[in-house]
Amino acid sequence: MSRIVVASKKPVRIALTVALVIHIALISLQGHHRIDTGFIRVWALDSLAPLEKLADRSLFGVRQAWDRYIVLIGVHEENLQLKRENDDLRMQLIQQQEAIAEAERIRALAGFQPLGIGKPLMARVIARDPAHNQTITIDKGRVHGLKPDTAVITPAGVVGRVIQSSNFFSIVQLIIDSQSAVGVMLQSTRRQGIVRGNGGPELDLDYIDDDNDLKPGDMFLTSGGDRIYPKGTPVGVITSVGARRGLLKAVQVRPTADLGRLEEVLCVVERHEKVDVVDPTQGQPVP
Amino acid sequence: MNRITTLGLFGKFATALIGVVVIQGILSFKFKVFGYFDLPLICCIYYGFTLSNPMASIVIGSALGLMQDSLSGAILGANGLTKTLIGFFAASAGHKFAVDQTITRVFAIFLFSLGDDILVTILALMVGPGSNPTYSGAMGTWLLSATFNTLFGLVLFGYHDRWRDATT
Repeated sequence: MSRIVVASKKPVRIALTVALVIHIALISLQGHHRIDTGFIRVWALDSLAPLEKLADRSLFGVRQAWDRYIVLIGVHEENLQLKRENDDLRMQLIQQQEAIAEAERIRALAGFQPLGIGKPLMARVIARDPAHNQTITIDKGRVHGLKPDTAVITPAGVVGRVIQSSNFFSIVQLIIDSQSAVGVMLQSTRRQGIVRGNGGPELDLDYIDDDNDLKPGDMFLTSGGDRIYPKGTPVGVITSVGARRGLLKAVQVRPTADLGRLEEVLCVVERHEKVDVVDPTQGQPVP
Repeated sequence: MNRITTLGLFGKFATALIGVVVIQGILSFKFKVFGYFDLPLICCIYYGFTLSNPMASIVIGSALGLMQDSLSGAILGANGLTKTLIGFFAASAGHKFAVDQTITRVFAIFLFSLGDDILVTILALMVGPGSNPTYSGAMGTWLLSATFNTLFGLVLFGYHDRWRDATT
C-alpha cells in the first residue's frame, strides 16, 4: 500500500479538533440529558443490525444442517427419554395451570388487580456488544411492541432490559452491566433489596433490609418494585457472603440465566402493571 | 498501475469498517473469547500505521468508534473519542517510529489497547451514576484484552508485510 504524506499539519490539527469537539459534545449532551441522542442509535441499528442478522442466520443455517443431518448418533434413545420427560412435564403443567387458575379466582374474590405479567414475545439474539459493554442485540423492535425498559427474561431467569429500540431491532442491557440494578427479594424470607451489576460475571448486593440471615445458595427473585421486571422471576443465587463493607456485607450473586450463552430470549410486552396508591386521608386505593 | 477512483476507495473503506464492527458483534456473541478482542481498535491502529495519513486515521477512528457506540450500550462518543485519538497517534507514530519492527508494534498495540479501555471506562464513570461500582477484575480483563489484541495485531501486520513484499 502506498504511503500518502501530508505536507501541512494544519488541516490535520483542525480535523482532530473538530472530531474531538463533536465527540465531547455528544458525551456532554448525554451527561446532562439536554438532547436525546437516541435517534443516532436508532439509525445505526436499522442500518447495521440487518447485516448482523444476515450473518447470524447464515451461521445458524450451517449449524442447523450439521445438527440435523450429521450429528444423529444416539438420537433415538434420547428421543424416547425426552418423550417420557415431556409427558411428566405436561402433567406438571396441567397441575400448575389449575393452581394458577385457582389463585386468580382467589385474587378476584379478594378484590386484587391481576398481576399484569404481560405477554412473552420470543426474540433471537443476533449479536453481542462490539464495545466490551454488557449488552446484546435482539431481532425484535418497536413494531413488535418493544420499547425502553421492556423486561427481557429466559425461563432460567432475568436477562436485562431494553435500553434502545429501533423499528426491528433492540439493544438489551444485561443485568451484569455496571449501570444495571434490579429490585429483588429473597425467596426464603421475602426480604427486599437491590442487586447491581459491576461489569463482571456476578452481581453485587447493593441493599437489603437485613443481611444477617444471608447464606450461599439462597435465591433472589424479582420483587417487582422496579416496575420493569415481572415479580417472582429468578434473578440469581448467592455465591459468597463476605465481611461487612460499610453498612452491608459483601454479597456476590451469580445470575441464574446463563448470560454468556443466550440464543433466544423472552421479551415481556403489553405489560400493564397497575399500581394502587393509598390515599392516607381516605384509606382507599387510588387508581 | 491500477487506477482507483476516490469513490471506489471510499466505498472499500466504508465496507471494511462496517464489516469490522458487524463481525466483532457476531463473533463476540458466537465465541466468548472474541469478547476480549477489539477488532475496530486493531483496524484503527492498522490503518494508522500502514497509511501514515493522520487525516484518514482520524476519520476512520471516529467512524469506527461511533459505529461501536451506536451498536452497544456505551455512551455515544466514548469509543469515538478514544479511537479518534488512537488513529491520530498511530498515524503520527507511523511517521516518527520504525513501526515495521515487531517490538515497536507489540508495545504500541498493547499500550493503545490498554489506553482505550481505561479512557472509555473513565468517560463512562464521568457520565454514569456517581455511585457506579467497577468490577474488581477489570484491570485483569483489560490486560487480557490488550494481550489478545496485540497477538491478533501482530498476525494482521505479518500478513500485511507478506502481501507488501509480494507486491513490491
